[in-house]
Amino acid sequence: MLTELETTLLGIMMMVIMLGMGASMTPRDFRIAFRKPKGIMVGLLSQFAVMPFLGFLLAIGLGLPPALVVGLLLIACMPGGTTSNIFAYFSKGVLALSIMMTTVSTLVAVVMVPVLLSFYGGMAGVSGDYAIPPGNVAQILVVLLVPTLLGMVLRKLNPNVGATIELIGSFMGIVVILFLIASWVPRNYQLLLDTGPTIYAATIGIGLIGMLFGYWVARGLGQDTNRSRTISLETGIQNGPLAVLVITLTFTGVMQQEVLLIPVLYSLFIVLSSTAITLWYRRNATREALARDAAKLGAG
Amino acid sequence: MNTITPRPWLAAYGQDIAPGLPAPTHRSLADLVAQTCEAFGKRPAFTCVVPNGMNGTLRFSQVSSMSDAFASFLRHHCGLQPGARVAVQMPNGLGYPVAAFGVFKAGGVLVNTNPLYTPSEMIHQFNDSGTEVLVICDMFTDKLAEVIPQTGIRHVVLAGVPEFFPRIPETIVRGVQKVWSRTLPPVPPLEVPVLRIRDALKIGRGLPRVTDWDQIGPDDLALLQYTGGTTGVAKGAMLTHGNILANLEQVKAMGGRHMSGQDCVLTALPLYHIFAFTANLMTFFALGARNILVPSPRPVQNIQRALENYPVTWVTGVNTLFNGLMNEEWFAAYPPKTLKAAIAGGTALHHAVAERWQKITGTRVAEGYGLTETAPLVSFNPLDQDVRIGSIGVPVPGTDVALVDDQAEPVERGKPGELIVKGPQVMRGYWNRPDETEKTLQNGWVFTGDVAIMDDDGFLTIVDRKKDMVLVSGFNVYPNEVEDCLSKLDSVLEAAVIGIPDKGTGEAVRAYVVQNPDVPEQVTKEDVIAHCRKHLAAYKVPKSVLLRDDLPKSPIGKILRKDLKAEARAEFAKGA
Repeated sequence: MLTELETTLLGIMMMVIMLGMGASMTPRDFRIAFRKPKGIMVGLLSQFAVMPFLGFLLAIGLGLPPALVVGLLLIACMPGGTTSNIFAYFSKGVLALSIMMTTVSTLVAVVMVPVLLSFYGGMAGVSGDYAIPPGNVAQILVVLLVPTLLGMVLRKLNPNVGATIELIGSFMGIVVILFLIASWVPRNYQLLLDTGPTIYAATIGIGLIGMLFGYWVARGLGQDTNRSRTISLETGIQNGPLAVLVITLTFTGVMQQEVLLIPVLYSLFIVLSSTAITLWYRRNATREALARDAAKLGAG
Repeated sequence: MNTITPRPWLAAYGQDIAPGLPAPTHRSLADLVAQTCEAFGKRPAFTCVVPNGMNGTLRFSQVSSMSDAFASFLRHHCGLQPGARVAVQMPNGLGYPVAAFGVFKAGGVLVNTNPLYTPSEMIHQFNDSGTEVLVICDMFTDKLAEVIPQTGIRHVVLAGVPEFFPRIPETIVRGVQKVWSRTLPPVPPLEVPVLRIRDALKIGRGLPRVTDWDQIGPDDLALLQYTGGTTGVAKGAMLTHGNILANLEQVKAMGGRHMSGQDCVLTALPLYHIFAFTANLMTFFALGARNILVPSPRPVQNIQRALENYPVTWVTGVNTLFNGLMNEEWFAAYPPKTLKAAIAGGTALHHAVAERWQKITGTRVAEGYGLTETAPLVSFNPLDQDVRIGSIGVPVPGTDVALVDDQAEPVERGKPGELIVKGPQVMRGYWNRPDETEKTLQNGWVFTGDVAIMDDDGFLTIVDRKKDMVLVSGFNVYPNEVEDCLSKLDSVLEAAVIGIPDKGTGEAVRAYVVQNPDVPEQVTKEDVIAHCRKHLAAYKVPKSVLLRDDLPKSPIGKILRKDLKAEARAEFAKGA
């Protein structure tokens, strides 16, 4: 398990990430986003309807033990991670939509995550010691909203400080994952070797299937291909470090190690799978742009 | 022509504008800079904002001491003699005023240079002007290896976009430029010394202060402002301290009652262009106002944080900038509340754009007219009355204008004629080009090459460039009129019109249109032609319509018809 020091460090790093997220926008960006809220609504739908349901299906279908079910469900119910914004940028997606979806889903998560977790947890038969008290999640999220708001305020007061924090925040997303690798993997080396392929399939699958569904839900609801790709990445990329934090603050000892397995693996693999998907999306975006050009030239 | 023209426009001056032009209050720009800085001391003079909102500010007092140091560096370290040329080649940033004002204080002549010039354009301009010292943005040092050995440049000074920002943001922006966008090439080994501007200032601070700029008078050369890129080789318009100071008074005469030291002006147009140079860098600065410098307004999103974070009261812009801003949701939905008015120039402001601007922002956009050769302002819309959209206003105080035919004889009132201009802002001529000077400057009148009409109140309307006119079966078609009509189509973002050879009519009208990305329906050739048929006489309707992703533009966003013409020429040469 993570030592107290490590848990505290993780908490601080999460604070920095959220501070950076807050600093990435201004109140006006919010107002603008909600003038045409459809994209965000579609995003929320895929984030909080599609993903948790997928997580539930995977958990049941693969017949996972309760510790892993909890981990998987938790990941599935998480809001979008801030790293999704970097991937949205590289995939030539709609950056503003990505930032907004991350922020809005984090806000909505205060209510939605506890509700979804107890609902799907109950359906999957998670009970007793393994159940995450809904209050815990809500509390952590509320605590994290404080730095988010602070980030926004700092941005407003001093754009230099705001933009600097934004940058540090997005780097911190990577640092957290490195931190998890360094602190968790060596101690659980054997556990990783003993872990069967189904578990790996579940951790990698939840992200990829989420992206697939996110894309088609968005397309089905009338979003264009570029926005759909952004929503797709946003759906598949969950806030893994937040899940880790929730677990370390809820469980202890061996139980913590077990429950952590899927969120930690997810956090590692999502970086790899998002990179692959981003490259693919980027190619599609370029191809579409070229096709549009060709269509226009023909109209002379 | 020497006849003194009556000034029918004086009545339009109204209460707001004094008909006589006050004598300049300073003998030189160096004098003006020194006194302005002294008067406004600790107030912010220039703030540079990069797209993510990071910024740096120089106070008037800092501008003063830094430009002093730069002058000392130029004079004592580089051995610059009064009257010698210094080229400044950088996008808007805090280094610009420090370098430019330093050049004036050292008694040098500023050669404004477009940072996007190719090495051969740079070599031409530096050799033609006899440039001795080059201050260049560090993003463009890769061109130096080729340029420097072929010129007489003795010293190179580098300034960055985040120059003089607080240390942390400066380091971050520079890091992003270096690692992420890879826009900071290494400095090639050169035969001449290369210094960063911070180091140059450090050297300058240790040298005696230059104080002999009280020797500089209004007739001394201040700027070699290169122009004529639209017709072959660029030539340097010789603008004196007196030209710029007179034009500054003229700007103040027209708008001064609405401008003050409390203002904050958005400077998204490049300072190396004469419009922003005189209007923003000199006039607003001299009033004690704050300039918000945006290094690159493209994409137009880059301006968002600048407009959000500062109480911008004035915007200077060109048609494409206003149009671009209004097509951004963040601007159209929440235009800056502090805005008082906007000044348009550089190129024709389209009706549709002006009207939309007034509707969206609730403020006026007043169109002015000017050219490099007149430092630049010639005419402007008086701000105390309703702006006459489409008109470039009335001549500014102290300026005479006339409209003449091909024999340089005045045309009848209400008839189109070439606009000619005389006044204290008129340049001395083109640097080392007596033949070109003779063609443009006759008896103190500048022949602008623009065709205009004057109404009974003295308001001028530009019809078009003389040489851009399209002759369809003997009828004159002015591209501006057709472009203005095209821009009223919602699905059209922008348009350009040129003439192409035509067997039947001699020349025919061709339109290039760009789809408005915010409008779902695709613009078609048929729509465009049907729309023009409704609003224009048959001979003005484009015969050919081409859809483009974008149009060639000059650094300030003027659409370059000459590039389209060259393209068309190549096309027809091949096809014929």
